[in-house]
Amino acid sequence: MLRESSQTNDTDFDLTELTAGVTGAGDIPHAKLLGDFTDAVVKRDTGPLAKHRAALLKALGAAGLVDAAAVAAAFHGYVRLADATGIPYEHAGFGTDTSELRAEIGLDRFYASELDDRG
Amino acid sequence: MTEVSYMHLPFDVRADLVAAQRRCWAHLAQPGTWHDGAKRLAISAEVRNARNCEYCAAQKDALSPNAVEGSHAGLGELSDAELDAIHRIAMDPARLGQAWYEENKAAGIGDEPYLELASIVAMVMIVDTFTYGLGLPDHPLPTPEDGEPSRYRSPGAKVEAAWVPITEPRDMSESDGDLYPSGRVGYIQRAISAVPDSKRAYWDLASCHYLQMEEIPRWDTDARAIDRTQIELIAGRVSALHQCLY
Repeated sequence: MLRESSQTNDTDFDLTELTAGVTGAGDIPHAKLLGDFTDAVVKRDTGPLAKHRAALLKALGAAGLVDAAAVAAAFHGYVRLADATGIPYEHAGFGTDTSELRAEIGLDRFYASELDDRG
Repeated sequence: MTEVSYMHLPFDVRADLVAAQRRCWAHLAQPGTWHDGAKRLAISAEVRNARNCEYCAAQKDALSPNAVEGSHAGLGELSDAELDAIHRIAMDPARLGQAWYEENKAAGIGDEPYLELASIVAMVMIVDTFTYGLGLPDHPLPTPEDGEPSRYRSPGAKVEAAWVPITEPRDMSESDGDLYPSGRVGYIQRAISAVPDSKRAYWDLASCHYLQMEEIPRWDTDARAIDRTQIELIAGRVSALHQCLY
């Protein structure tokens, strides 16, 4: 979905940052702030989260912060529903999230404790 | 009844989000399809309790969750199989597998009761993650309402594409109600279709937090205060950190 929305909006973003960490090198506005906020939410890293939330509030305003938190929250539900039911993933994202794409961004690698997900 | 409030924040939260979370809380308190209100709230409380479960943390750190001996620290109101299902879905969803699912099923969780349980875990995770993101404590859970679960079984549900039974659009019955009102039938939309009320409640909540169904194919949607690339960046990063292949 990010690839399609980036293409439609003529925005450059290296998809490997989804697994490696968001650096903000691409064109997505405030990508680093959004990435830092998202990481802190997923890891329930309360100290850094307060700092990242304040930065996001300053950059995007209250409505932007609320929507960022809402999207992060929504995907805490989606991943659990998908993983808990064993649905096929070949047709996810309008069939755009192909196995090649998963390999390209490193999502296929063996379960990695360094991701440190405590969501 | 509606313990969901953001009145102490120095800014407003979208009214449709607050309303959706209040509907979710009301839904959780009511008798469901397979669990009564008290049990649904016991499941909800257990989702929160899982955050502090040392066994979950040890499983998460292990090369395989099956390599760790022990048991979940539960609140004492649910069976061991239910406890394991809740904690694993909440804390380590990427490593759930069909063998695990079949084991829990053999231990007494039926397909549809499991789907209702999974939907509750997912909904509580959504609401609690949202409040956490805004720096707020969890909302108090509601008080359970009396009544019996309906035990409605979707007549067309069958196990084909997933571990769990799915009611495909072609197999819908009038008694299911409107299962696919948006016309969107991706597997994520079908995942808990065998329990129609849970499916509707989950998507009512999730769509308000992400995007309404009609906005999803609009790659340049301006339905939110952040643009579509920003939305998908967050979505993709959350999924990647969970190593979710979907």
